[in-house]
Amino acid sequence: MTDSLGLPILPLKNTVLYPYVLMPVSIGRPASIASVEAALSSEDKMLAAFAQRDADVEQPGRDDLFGIGTRAVIKRMARGEEGIHLILQGIERVELLELEQTAPFLKGRLRNFPLPDGAEAEVEALQRELAGLAGRMQAIAEPAVPVDLNQLLAQVEEPMQFVFLVAAMAGLDSAKAQSLLESPSQIEAMRRLHTYLTHEVQVLEIQKQIATQAHTEIGKEQREYLLRQQLKAIQRELGERSPEESEVAELRRRFEELELPEEVRKEADRELSRLENIPAAAPDFQVTRTHLELILELPWTATTTDNLDLAHARTVLDEDHYGLKEIKERIIEHLAVLKLNPNAKAPILCFVGPPGVGKTSLGQSIARALGRRFERLSLGGLHDEAELRGHRRTYIGAMPGRIVQSIRRAEVKNPLLMLDEVDKLGRDFRGDPASALLEILDPAQNSTFRDNYLDLPFDLSKVFFITTANATDTIPRPLLDRMETLRLSGYSDEEKMQIALRYLLPRQRQEAGLTAERFQVPDETLSAVIHRYTREAGVRELERMLGRLARKAAVRFAEGDDRAVVIQPSDLAAMLGPERFFLESARRELPPGVATGLAWTESGGDVLYVEAIQLPEGERLTLTGQLGNVMKESARAAQSYVAAHCDRFGIEPPKGGLHVHVPAGAIPKDGPSAGVTIATAIASVWTGQAVRPDTAMTGEITLSGLVLPVGGIKEKVLAARRAGLKRVILPRENEKDLPELPEHVRQEMQFVLAERLEDVLRAAIPGLAERLE
Amino acid sequence: MPLFDDLTRLLQPFADPSAGDPVSSRWRPPADIYRTREGWLVKVELAGVGQEEVQVSASGNMLTVRGRRRDSALVEGGEHYSLEIAYSEFERRVKLPCCLDEARLIAECREGMLFVRVVTAGGAG
Repeated sequence: MTDSLGLPILPLKNTVLYPYVLMPVSIGRPASIASVEAALSSEDKMLAAFAQRDADVEQPGRDDLFGIGTRAVIKRMARGEEGIHLILQGIERVELLELEQTAPFLKGRLRNFPLPDGAEAEVEALQRELAGLAGRMQAIAEPAVPVDLNQLLAQVEEPMQFVFLVAAMAGLDSAKAQSLLESPSQIEAMRRLHTYLTHEVQVLEIQKQIATQAHTEIGKEQREYLLRQQLKAIQRELGERSPEESEVAELRRRFEELELPEEVRKEADRELSRLENIPAAAPDFQVTRTHLELILELPWTATTTDNLDLAHARTVLDEDHYGLKEIKERIIEHLAVLKLNPNAKAPILCFVGPPGVGKTSLGQSIARALGRRFERLSLGGLHDEAELRGHRRTYIGAMPGRIVQSIRRAEVKNPLLMLDEVDKLGRDFRGDPASALLEILDPAQNSTFRDNYLDLPFDLSKVFFITTANATDTIPRPLLDRMETLRLSGYSDEEKMQIALRYLLPRQRQEAGLTAERFQVPDETLSAVIHRYTREAGVRELERMLGRLARKAAVRFAEGDDRAVVIQPSDLAAMLGPERFFLESARRELPPGVATGLAWTESGGDVLYVEAIQLPEGERLTLTGQLGNVMKESARAAQSYVAAHCDRFGIEPPKGGLHVHVPAGAIPKDGPSAGVTIATAIASVWTGQAVRPDTAMTGEITLSGLVLPVGGIKEKVLAARRAGLKRVILPRENEKDLPELPEHVRQEMQFVLAERLEDVLRAAIPGLAERLE
Repeated sequence: MPLFDDLTRLLQPFADPSAGDPVSSRWRPPADIYRTREGWLVKVELAGVGQEEVQVSASGNMLTVRGRRRDSALVEGGEHYSLEIAYSEFERRVKLPCCLDEARLIAECREGMLFVRVVTAGGAG
């Protein structure tokens, strides 16, 4: 067919049709469909396929097609939804001479472009080499296809046919394929194919390597999964359940036995069904399981019955604690209310007092008196809200908050929960635990307390909350407002003596394994220990000292000495070391300008002296001794008042500055209660009249000279008494606090109740008494 | 995998003998061969092929039937909906166990079949 002939042209995208080769083609472009239609309506079903230079051109012209193509016959044709599917049989190589028409389809004038011939030895060698390469390619890409490629290729005698078959099989890209089709000689065609195939084989090898690696990795997990499934199947066959299944079943059984609120049951059911459907290896399995266990263990309905026998409660409280009459009375009152109205909200009490006065143990005995479970948690230094309220379950290692944990430990929903050190709550960027406490301690809200971890409402309204604090000023006001504050003041020496005799000594004796006969501590010795070896509001140090005595005695017994030990005051120096504190004897004489004040500290009361001195020059008031702002202002008010009323004292207001100092200089002091003391010191220095050394005073003053009441009267009076002062000037309005004092103290001390500053001065400075009459 | 497609394509001729010779671009009609008293009878399935389009030749022990099938049943204004019949050039070679150089070949078209009588000197024996 050397003459030119006209045929419809089919442009091919991304592929090249070779002579001798069958190729399926799908066509969709209207022009291509028209070409095929034209070929189909011919008797021979012939067309010519030309590859496009650029696959993106939709309507190719002469320049968009390669000049060399293949004449082909349509072997099969079927119409599909997206166009026509063809199987083309390539027949011979043709050259495009010219385009005869471009619309509605391409038609061209073609001339046969005969394939090169001429066998050479090199062709033969290359052909074998290529057969080997093709075999390798097949082995890598399709090891499963059982075709003997070499046998197939051996049938091919014509070298160009061989090239085209192998090239068609290798799926070369269209540029390479076209260059093979256009090969000027057999040897060149083979060389080109050799280059392309070598490249393909390398690419395939790398691909396979990557695929194999990925496969091994996936394979491991799949294997494990498969084995697990098999294990399950075997267990089912044997009538056994997998550990996880039986665990879930066990949980479900326990849930069914439990009495739960509706909402809780629903949530638990939901979680249980989730648990049944997730594999045990999933991280969620453990999380859900622990959560369910918490739900199981929480006392949703369990309660203890309160023992509302008032007489019993009194006995228990008295057994455990000496004194504390007021507090015990308050507790009895609460019990009485509970007895009459069982649905009354549990009270929220706050015990405030110095360390060692028995706040915590009081809580324990209240629990004992009531017959409630006792749980305590310390809030000291707690600064993360999540500690109280829990972490949300989405966090790794999430836990319920301390409140829920305590309830879980208590195993009833109405324990007595003691929150210690509520005044030492921290607060930082992680949140404010005090605010969380607001919800927990509010009877209006805490019936639906929602812990972040539990994520279900839990009723805390039946919990008897008791908080403890050393001082109330660091407790946020809204929190303090929710609690009923009960003050436990320090103990007097007599009270300490009683406590030592009744509780501390027997306890220490028991600890050391001694009997009352073998280890005796007479009252005088106890009194000496209290006075000379301890100075505290509570009794901790005292207990430690008694413990030491008991151990010393134990040593003696253990060494074989069998005589009873009676400890005399004179033995103390040998057993406890030199005396630690001297009875603070008040200063015997006070120069003008010095007055005795009383201070309240967290650890009880203390005596302090205010010293004032007139300076020859300067006009300002100098204050030293680490005074807080309130105290400074109070000093200024005192100065102003005294200066304004100089005429009543019969003096001129002095010129020059005034210096007021309050030792000990290193201890910070604040509060308004030193007002009268400062005023007295100033009046004393200006008039040159000394203050009575046996008199201590406390009270806030106003600019108009009124004496206002102050707190901590009991501790202050006890401190004055400890210091050997027998006379105390108090604001009149504090008269109501005097009954708090033990009877013997009241008998021993002399109290002067003052309404105005003049009353104070009259009682404190004998030299002024007449002038002020 | 492009290779897989290509192999299927390559294998197609084996699956369907009428599709063609794998190493030839022409299609291959199926043929039956009979022994007769006078020699051989080769029957080739060639429906729709006029006798004038067929060439029969012999050389050595090879009988070759060659020609082309044209799509002659074209309807004016109609178009193909699908196509399975092979058109255009075909070639069928049949190897016989004797030399055919001296044999007489008589071809005849009947009912869509081409019958080629191969008359050899000594019959089929």
